[in-house]
Parts: sequence; structure tokens; C-alpha cells
Amino acid sequence: MEHKVVDHLFRHHYGKMVAILTRFFGLSYIETIEDAVQDTFIKAASQWRTKIPDNPEGWLNRVAKNRTIDILRSIQAEKNRNLSITTGASSLQIDELFLDHEVADSQLRMIFVACHPSLHPSEQIAFALKTISGFSIKEIAAALLTKEETIAKRLLRARKTISDKNIQFQYPSPETVQERMARVMEVIYLTFNEGFHSTNKEKLIKEDLCGEAIRLCQLLLKKEQFRSGSLYALFALLCFHMSRLESKVSSDNQIVNLQHQDRTKWYFPLIKMGNSAMLKATEYENTSVYHFEAAIASEHLNAKTFKDTNWKNISYWYEQLYMFKPNMFTLLNHATVCLQLSDFEKTHQLLKRIDVAELGQRTYLYYGCYAEYYMKIGEKDLAISFLDKALAGTTNRLERDFLMGKKEGLI
Amino acid sequence: MKDFMMIFIGADYQELGLSPEQLQERMGKWFAWNEKMQKQGIVKSGDALMPQVKRVSGPNRTVTDAPLIEGKELIGGYYIVQAENAEAVVEIAKDYPDYDLDGTVEIREVMVFEQ
Repeated sequence: MEHKVVDHLFRHHYGKMVAILTRFFGLSYIETIEDAVQDTFIKAASQWRTKIPDNPEGWLNRVAKNRTIDILRSIQAEKNRNLSITTGASSLQIDELFLDHEVADSQLRMIFVACHPSLHPSEQIAFALKTISGFSIKEIAAALLTKEETIAKRLLRARKTISDKNIQFQYPSPETVQERMARVMEVIYLTFNEGFHSTNKEKLIKEDLCGEAIRLCQLLLKKEQFRSGSLYALFALLCFHMSRLESKVSSDNQIVNLQHQDRTKWYFPLIKMGNSAMLKATEYENTSVYHFEAAIASEHLNAKTFKDTNWKNISYWYEQLYMFKPNMFTLLNHATVCLQLSDFEKTHQLLKRIDVAELGQRTYLYYGCYAEYYMKIGEKDLAISFLDKALAGTTNRLERDFLMGKKEGLI
Repeated sequence: MKDFMMIFIGADYQELGLSPEQLQERMGKWFAWNEKMQKQGIVKSGDALMPQVKRVSGPNRTVTDAPLIEGKELIGGYYIVQAENAEAVVEIAKDYPDYDLDGTVEIREVMVFEQ
């Protein structure tokens, strides 16, 4: 299939157009705007069947502009104002909004709306995917492994909150930028994780979610006032993780853990991009959880084989990370690293601090780690009983094979 | 060679709520199909139709804005192609991109009036 429309043009342009039109009309018209933009793409899908315009983006912009004027007319008619619209003046204003830097500006404003602290995190992700990334409700539901109804409700609540709280389509004030950025980064991070750690069978969906998170990060990095060490570190982290996405899923859709990944499949250009972002991050004074997570990811990527991993460095980074992110997963990961370092006492200490109830679906990793620990210190029976617990906790075939192999070695 | 009309019924993108990404994907498939037919030089004409319908019916010429039509019955477009016979058009129609959205292709020979 040869046609000269770049990948995801419609999806990405959807977000741009919604942002531009919202800038023009305000957030209270967002539903009308989204419908109008959707309409534009339906039109394009039919019209471009026989001939794709020489400049597809220009075509979309032009149609969007016309739609803007249409909407303006209908809004004014609705308000029953007698003000006649001087198409000349308003279209001049509209034209300015379609300049590249203004487009980016509008999209950034939309990111801050999506990540507004009045919205619940689950609503923030849904709203961002819909309004900025142009996902349909169905696609969001598939991506987040949630029902369509649930997503529709979240979007409804988000829109209601935006209107009830009269949230403005603006950047946060300079004194709140840092605080607001923290939330924005969290939403990006969560969106990425939804894709990266998803048990979703559709590889494309994972790529889409991760890709969108990276794109939003890039968008923010374009503006001086939003750049920070944390943002660069987050971007680096996402690049590092993304480079491994391909090797993380086996041909039969099983999650492959780090130890068993085919390292030749790691995507080098992304690693390079991550490295330079990391370098940028060091130019700023602040440190964040993203710094340490990126440092850990980077250590893994630097190792040619699993055996070559610099566990000592990683252990140090986990130590640091725990100060920013004192949760059970940090402890568990750190324990696994200490095991690699044959620091059994520390492993045990860390494992003892873990509250199993908080590990959720990853509890089997905890049992697996315990089993390995008992194996290493020669407590065969205990090791076997923990392997059984781990086996009971996962359906992942590769993980099960791995655990079974261990168990057979002990019997 | 005879003229045949391929009428596309159903698979109304608007009603199906396709996402921008899906719309782009569909567009690409239609474009590829059109290009294939153009290369074979068999296309005489073709258009996509807007989904809004006005119906005039009955002796009183009653006009209805027919939202009564369900999306799956809506005609979305047509092509007129040249082919040896209906069987050949059936082959051509196999590339129609929207079968997975419950779309249908109806093939009708264009009547030629004797001079």
C-alpha cells in the first residue's frame, strides 16, 4: 500500500486540531469541537480515497479552519447575538493559531488541562488519550483493558469537572508550574506503564500507548519553561524502556523478563536518544525518581549479557530510588539485585520488609525471589515450597517454565 | 466490455465511531484499491456519498429526512467499472476494504439502451 500520508497523521492531527479550536472557543465547547474534528477525518477518509492532497496537513488545516468559522457562526446564532462576524478579521486570527509554534502552544495547554489536579488520575489518562492523542473510546478501553462504559464515564466526569471548576485553557502560573509539571510527568509515566507493563495481547496497542507518552514528553521538552532535570530524566527513562519493547514480548505473546530477552533486538537509536537526554538531565540540579529509574534502566542496557550486568551500581541506584519511592516494588527489585550480588543477608532483610498484600499480580516474583534466596543458602525444602507458591501465582508460560526448571533442579 | 456499478452498502464510518487512526487506515486501503483499479484502467467513475438522506416518496411527494435508515442499509458510495461480466466484477469487489465492518457490495450491470 503506497500512499504518502505519514503514519498516525490523523491521530496526531486530531489532537492538534482539537487543541487549536479549544484555544479559540474555550473549553466549554470541547464536545462540539471534538465532534467537528471527528467529522473532518470522516470527510478526509472518503475524499482521499481517489486522490490524496499534495499537502495532507495543509488540507486538514484548511478544513479545520472552515469548521472553526462554521462553529463560530452556529455558536453566535445560538447565542442569538446580532454581532455579525467579520470573516476577514476572525479568519486572520484563526490563521495565526495554525502556525506551528501556536499549535504546540495549544497542545501544551491541553496537557495541563488533562493533568489538572481536580481530575482523578484515571480520568486524566482517559481524557489525555482522547483529547490530545485522538484515541476513540473503544481504543482507550482496549488499551487500558477497561470497559468502554467505564471510559465513557471517566470522560464525562472529566468534562463535568472542567466545566464545574471553570478550568481555563491556560498555562499554570509560574509559581505553580513545578507542582503542575510533577503531575503532568506522573500522567505521562502512568500512560507509558499502562502500555509497557500491559498484559494486552495486542502489541500495537502497547506501542501506541508508549509512543504517545514519549510524544507528549517531547512536546513539553520543546518549551524552555517546562524543561527540568526530571523531565529529561523521564524522557530518557521512556526511551530506555521503549528500546526493549520489541524483545519484551515473545512471538506467542508472552512477557519475556530481562534475563531471557534477546539483547540484539534492543533498539539502539532510542538508547542513544535516552543517553543524550540523561546527559541533559545532569545539567539541572534537581533529582527525581525518574533519574534513578533511568539510571537503573541504563545499567541494564549497558550490559552485553545478563551476566555482565553491573549489579553493584544498580543496587546503589535502588538504595537512592527508595528514598524517593519507598514502595514494595522498589524493595523487591532491590532484593533481587542483592541476590545477584550474593549478598544474602541484605536480600533477606529487604524481603522481610515487604508487605506481600501490596504486590498484587506480581506477588509471584516475591515468592520466586524468596525461593532463589533459600536455594542459594542451601535450604532446599523451603526453596521448593516457595517455588510452588510462585508457580501458583502466575500463568505466564515463560515464567512457569523458568520456575519449573528451577524446581526440577532441586528435586 | 460492459459497465457495472458496484454499490457500497453499510459500514457507515460516522455511525461506527471509528477513531482517526482507524479512519486513516481505511483511507489507505481504499486508496490502494482505487489505485489498483486505475492501473487496470477499468474505472469509469466513482464517488463517496454524504450520509445525510432526503427521501421523497408517495403520490404526495412526501419528503423525509430519513434518519430511519440504519447505518447498515446506507449507501456510502459507488464505482462504475468496465468488465467482461458480473463474475469478473465479483473478483474486483473482493478488494472492497469494509467487509470486516459488515459492509456489502452490490453489483449491478448498467443497462444499455438499443439505439
